Amino acid sequence: MHAALDERLQAGEQAFIDQVIAGRTAQPGALLSILEAVQNHNPHNYLPMESLRYIAAKADVPLSQIYSVATFYSFFNLHPQGDNTICICRGTACHTRGSRNLLQSLRLDLGLGTEDAEDTNEADKLLLTTSDNKFTVRTVACFGQCALAPVVEVNHRICGHVNERTLQREIRNLERESE
Amino acid sequence: MPKKLQLRIDGEMVSALEGQTILQAARNSGKYIPTLCYLDGLTPVGGCRLCMVEVSGIDRLVPACTTPIQDGMSVSTTSAKLTRYRKIMLELLFIERNHICAVCVSNGHCELQAMASQMGITNVRFSYNYPKLSVDQSHSRYVLDHNRCILCTRCVRVCAELEGAHVWEVTSRGIHARVQSDLNQKWGESRGCTNCGKCVQACPTGALAEKGWAVEEMIKRNDNITVLAHRKGAGA
Repeated sequence: MHAALDERLQAGEQAFIDQVIAGRTAQPGALLSILEAVQNHNPHNYLPMESLRYIAAKADVPLSQIYSVATFYSFFNLHPQGDNTICICRGTACHTRGSRNLLQSLRLDLGLGTEDAEDTNEADKLLLTTSDNKFTVRTVACFGQCALAPVVEVNHRICGHVNERTLQREIRNLERESE
Repeated sequence: MPKKLQLRIDGEMVSALEGQTILQAARNSGKYIPTLCYLDGLTPVGGCRLCMVEVSGIDRLVPACTTPIQDGMSVSTTSAKLTRYRKIMLELLFIERNHICAVCVSNGHCELQAMASQMGITNVRFSYNYPKLSVDQSHSRYVLDHNRCILCTRCVRVCAELEGAHVWEVTSRGIHARVQSDLNQKWGESRGCTNCGKCVQACPTGALAEKGWAVEEMIKRNDNITVLAHRKGAGA
């Protein structure tokens, strides 16, 4: 059974996971840091199902538990992420300073549409990736930077007092950099 | 041998062993505390909040199933406040999924339904969520109906602790939380499942049921799980 699993994972990826697990044996709560290391190592910043299966077999953790942990924490991604991540704060302070409009205009600019999936509502965390895999848009409940509201995080850099124009400028800069 | 402790439950002096929970001490002395997520033999999690009790000297309510007893403790298991809170908890369980008893295999044999009628809940004061949930019929012998699930995690615990398969786990969080098998696969495709059916017998509602039963026909035998757990505990 293991051989069939292994074929689907590249040898380099396997070696990396083996090394990560070996460094954390007999550590309680090691699963979180294993998943984190594997996700960070992935070029698209996500946890492929094959990797999860491999981790389960190697670290002797039930598949269901791995999936439970990976879905509980919103920073674990189960789908490929864009090259750039734009995270819009939807906390109360940012909401009152217009973060909903920021989010809507960003979604329109990136061609993500403004229709939500049927089983979600506006209060849910959002995670959208453009079809060209250049941008991922997500929302967060609060960055703790309410004095700078509305706050947007562009590739882990906090930008305060953002408006639609400055956000468009950030996007243009990122697009230019990638060319 | 653990130490014997004295405590008062509803004013009555009761002795119990050190390390026991308030719920165990109460059950052993014939006192009733309502529960849903608790199943004798499985690790208590304190999830359903129905077993909340008042302990004198503590401002907040504590869950009886996870609170260890202390010498000289004074517990009260019934009060107007507790009844009010327990009713709210049950009503919140009802609004979260589609608990439509009339078309449920467990109608008449459901712990949630029994608890509601026992507490005299005739209507729910909050608005229902009516989520659109799936029914997993992929397993050859059993059905998983998310509409009836109250996320008590009895199936999760019985599978992990007694069967050792750990097929079930609660995935995602908040209102999106679901009991799922393996890597979010269909139950029938789960490689770990041993088809033992312990999860079905442990389930307090009609969320997990055997195939082939019509409305009102699914009778669960969770006493078997308790017997099995105690036998296993005695063996260890």
